[in-house]
Amino acid sequence: MIKTKLSGESYAARVWRKTRKGVGVEVGLAWIALLVFAAVFAPFLANSMPILMSKDGIISAPVLHYLSVEDAWVLASFFIALLLYKLKFRAGQRIALFLLGAIIAAVLVNVYVNPPKLVIYDDFRSPAYTQVDWRVMPPIPYAPTDYLRDLVSKGLEAPFETTGHLHLMGTEENGADVLSRMIHACRIALSIGLIASGIALFIGVIVGGLMGYFSGLADMLGMRLVEIFEDIPTLFLLLTFVAFFGRSLYMMMVIIGITGWSGYARYVRTEFLKLRKQDYVQAAVASGLPLSSILFRHMLPNGIAPLLVALSFGIAGAILSEATLSFLGLGVVDAPSWGQMLDQAVKSSSFNWWMAVFPGGAIFMTVFAYNLIGEAFRDAIDPKLSDESGTE
Amino acid sequence: MLIYLLRRLLLMIPTLLGITVLVFTVMAMSPGGISAQTLVGGMDMKPQEKQALLNYYNKRYGLDKPAPLQYLHWLNNVLPIGFVMDEQGNQGDFSFTKGMDLGTSFQYGRPVADILVERIPITLLLNLVTIPVTYLIAIFVGMKSATHRGGRFDVGMGMSMLALWSIPTMLAGVLLLGFFANVQYFQWFPTSGLSSREALDMPFLPHWGAAGFVRGFLLDRLWHLILPVLCLSYGGFAALAKLTRTSILENLHSDYARTARAKGLAEHEVLWRHVFRNSLLPLITISAGLLPSLLAGSLIVEHIFSIDGMGQLAVEAVKGRDRELVLSITWVSGFLTLMGYLLADFCYTLADPRVSYD
Repeated sequence: MIKTKLSGESYAARVWRKTRKGVGVEVGLAWIALLVFAAVFAPFLANSMPILMSKDGIISAPVLHYLSVEDAWVLASFFIALLLYKLKFRAGQRIALFLLGAIIAAVLVNVYVNPPKLVIYDDFRSPAYTQVDWRVMPPIPYAPTDYLRDLVSKGLEAPFETTGHLHLMGTEENGADVLSRMIHACRIALSIGLIASGIALFIGVIVGGLMGYFSGLADMLGMRLVEIFEDIPTLFLLLTFVAFFGRSLYMMMVIIGITGWSGYARYVRTEFLKLRKQDYVQAAVASGLPLSSILFRHMLPNGIAPLLVALSFGIAGAILSEATLSFLGLGVVDAPSWGQMLDQAVKSSSFNWWMAVFPGGAIFMTVFAYNLIGEAFRDAIDPKLSDESGTE
Repeated sequence: MLIYLLRRLLLMIPTLLGITVLVFTVMAMSPGGISAQTLVGGMDMKPQEKQALLNYYNKRYGLDKPAPLQYLHWLNNVLPIGFVMDEQGNQGDFSFTKGMDLGTSFQYGRPVADILVERIPITLLLNLVTIPVTYLIAIFVGMKSATHRGGRFDVGMGMSMLALWSIPTMLAGVLLLGFFANVQYFQWFPTSGLSSREALDMPFLPHWGAAGFVRGFLLDRLWHLILPVLCLSYGGFAALAKLTRTSILENLHSDYARTARAKGLAEHEVLWRHVFRNSLLPLITISAGLLPSLLAGSLIVEHIFSIDGMGQLAVEAVKGRDRELVLSITWVSGFLTLMGYLLADFCYTLADPRVSYD
């Protein structure tokens, strides 16, 4: 007699366990965790002003004083997420609570955080900030937009080749510290990756879901739309969008999202075409449930696994898109970005290896991390590769 | 077969129309609209001159009309059949022989058709060299990993292919250019363009001349192509090698392969004549999707290596907000992509006699 062993492990938990076992997944997760840390605490890691200082017996925190609205909001959201992770809630509740908390934080931050409009970085190297009792500087004492005018930074100096001030990764063309810009650019890379693919996923699920559920004419029309978006090289469409619209970060997210949904729509469509004649779907239809409930409560959870794989690769793609746009000189103008720094490697007459190796390496590592996770996840949900299915 | 071909060609029309409508809408919705965007330049002109130019554009492209009408106007100009327009922009008779008018590029001041005829062959050359390279490497690596499954080669290649796939094209391009085409490091390859100035006067084939070895036009061209093709191909073969491996693995232990072995066929015979041919199908499917990504890849590669192809042109057109150029590049690249899909479907029938389109 065969002894059967029952496992109380849920599907999600099993998939997660198997994903973690994949080659290099731990490295990928660690890298992304590092990026998240750098993105959230960027102002405390790389800034020209002291974190804490004591002058004439008065202890002050200039970093907090100069904290921008965005910095404060990112910090608040991070701690809300951390708190929700510790508390016990269901997955759906967690997401809803996080969104609620993030919105409240955004409102509060906009009202209560009023940083000085003008920041003159040279001041922080003047006696007012240097001749103090004691002070704690950030690990990298240069802000990303601090062009070191007073230190006579020539720009594009190789690592360790400056005198008087140390730059672990050199300086960029305007004279700012590269490592500092790299740390602050984590924010753009991560947020573009998540939000742009979120938008793409949202559009894709709705269009693909409707196509798959109704099939017939809706499918035919929808597929033409998908084809249209697939047949223009995405990069070209992106270029057109970006060139003819603004270049703000939020616009960029929306644009990358709008141009990238066709793949998700295809996935959802195939899943839904398979599912629509299943008994439980028929039962849901027969009991007169509204369409949104049938589509999203009953059908979507059963077809979500391949979608999440696509999402993981999609995030990598979105990060790459942003980097490419910045590289082609069509990126966000004022904020530091990896792609924009990579562009400077060949812009001047000589080859500046540090401008290629560090930002380019960061893009590569991030894309690689997401691809590794996606790959492992795909293997984890594939029943053919499961340990329990006794082939080979 | 003919009917199938006809049907496919007819189905391409709505897609192509959709593509141009999409790009046109993007331009029309942008702040200021199309007409404002195209007239940003010309700061050095006198007011009368600018007004004259504006009047000319209005007549030729109908820039003073609402966007949907402008689109129809453009479509009428581009289509080989349509209404003949006279100098004043008035609508004439319907004609079947009026020919295509792609318009004049605003920033180059030259007919778009002339520019495209110059640029398209360059990008096609790049891609036509890249595709065979991609497939050769992918099939070799995929085959070897599949037959030595779980071995050192397989595991190592699996990892390095994923890593290769994750390297952004621009990083690879910049590093190659910086290290192998730079006086600071190794100046082994030329930095830009597709042929040297002096190569244009050389005979086609390499030979020994009076002044020693002459590399000829062909060798010079190849020498210029190495870095760009390397840059364009690695992402493709990394993805394809993984696919080849899975596809071959699926067929390697199938019943027909066992039968072939039982008949006493040599292993390489089984591999190449039976397994490989059946594993080709997904590779062909991917090849269709490869073309758009290659076109997009040439955008970056041509930008890095300063090659005057379609990709470079696209970047310039979009940056210069050159309406006519942008629209033409859009439908031409869409058309090339659709032709790629069609070609892939025909390759299907070649690889698998079971597939037929009747």
